[in-house]
Amino acid sequence: MKRWHIRDIILVTILAIFMGVIFWVITPLYSALTAVFAPMGLQPLANEILLGVWTMAGPLAGFVIRIPGAATLGELLGAVVEMFLGGIWGAGTLISGVVQGFGSELGFMATRYRHYNWVTLTLSALTTTLVTFAWSLAREGYIAYHLGFLLLLFAVRFASVFVFGGILTKLITNLLDRAHVLKH
Amino acid sequence: MNPSLKLALLVLIALEISFTHVWTVNVALIVVSLILMVWGHVTFKRLAMLTLIPAFFGAALVWSLTLRGTASNHFLLVIFTRMVAYVYMGGWFAQTTNPLTLTRSLEQNAKLPSKFAYGFLAAFNLMPKIQAEVATIKAAALMRGQVLHFWSPQLYFKVILAAMNWSDQLAAAMTSHGFVEDAPRTHATEIPLVTRDWIMLVGSLVLVQIGLFVGLP
Repeated sequence: MKRWHIRDIILVTILAIFMGVIFWVITPLYSALTAVFAPMGLQPLANEILLGVWTMAGPLAGFVIRIPGAATLGELLGAVVEMFLGGIWGAGTLISGVVQGFGSELGFMATRYRHYNWVTLTLSALTTTLVTFAWSLAREGYIAYHLGFLLLLFAVRFASVFVFGGILTKLITNLLDRAHVLKH
Repeated sequence: MNPSLKLALLVLIALEISFTHVWTVNVALIVVSLILMVWGHVTFKRLAMLTLIPAFFGAALVWSLTLRGTASNHFLLVIFTRMVAYVYMGGWFAQTTNPLTLTRSLEQNAKLPSKFAYGFLAAFNLMPKIQAEVATIKAAALMRGQVLHFWSPQLYFKVILAAMNWSDQLAAAMTSHGFVEDAPRTHATEIPLVTRDWIMLVGSLVLVQIGLFVGLP
């Protein structure tokens, strides 16, 4: 199995910073969505719709770098970037980063870091949703929601993670593949 | 306090209050973090942001739980104070910890392999260049009448190519300056880890345990 070398470490960090910089622009969108949904008691939906964007660094890093731990590290470093860029959620994002990254990592682990295709990304989207949702049940008190609403939240979260971590990531890696920069 | 232990303390407490339901402890953590932030000269503007934003999101979440769920008032209070406590503790950490010192401490005190410590530092120093690169890529696309959004694959494609290029060059530069992975190193700046740090870590954790399990509401 591949080990971490200095080049990969720098690559995953630069990638995480790039994602952090790109995603910085959607923070106002998050606030706006929250403001729109909040009066109807639908605030978590804002979070669910955008969650796929926050968790995208994981599958992308996992797919491009292909070393065990790449997805977790990519997502964790994204959180570190956010923390030191002045993100409000501070060190709380570190724990979320590990949870989200580990969720994506499970998808790659399930295919034993050998297959990099649609199946891997779909699996990764599924594990990300499951792991982060379990975390939300405890941390954000989702456990107290009615079952119907909970199912809606879960479905929206999976759709979001699948669109960004699955479809968009696949489109990006297709481009990289055509440019022959992905190692097989 | 030693940055590695400070980080450990913060993560442990944050994890613990994620699974426990004692709002008084959350409030105590908020007060202590606030005192520490004022002590550490955090600006008023920053403090206001650290208060208003979680209050807004926390209130929205509590409102949503009231309308769409079966939460008791006690549960709602726990969730709200938990969110503010997270942000305050995180704010205290981020505002009073220097990233360079933290990385050095993780390498020296927490035994993080030096290739990770220096790899992170090398990349983080590119931050301004990375920000400029995103702007350049977007501007270059605009010149051809192409608008790149955060959902455009082309944007990420170009970004990843730049990242690959730079990581190759940085890694080569570090190697040519004598950086050897896993080789023993000496340190220009030593980060002290003294008994006082351990006492503060253990003492704080004990206090939190007492608060959580003594039967407070």
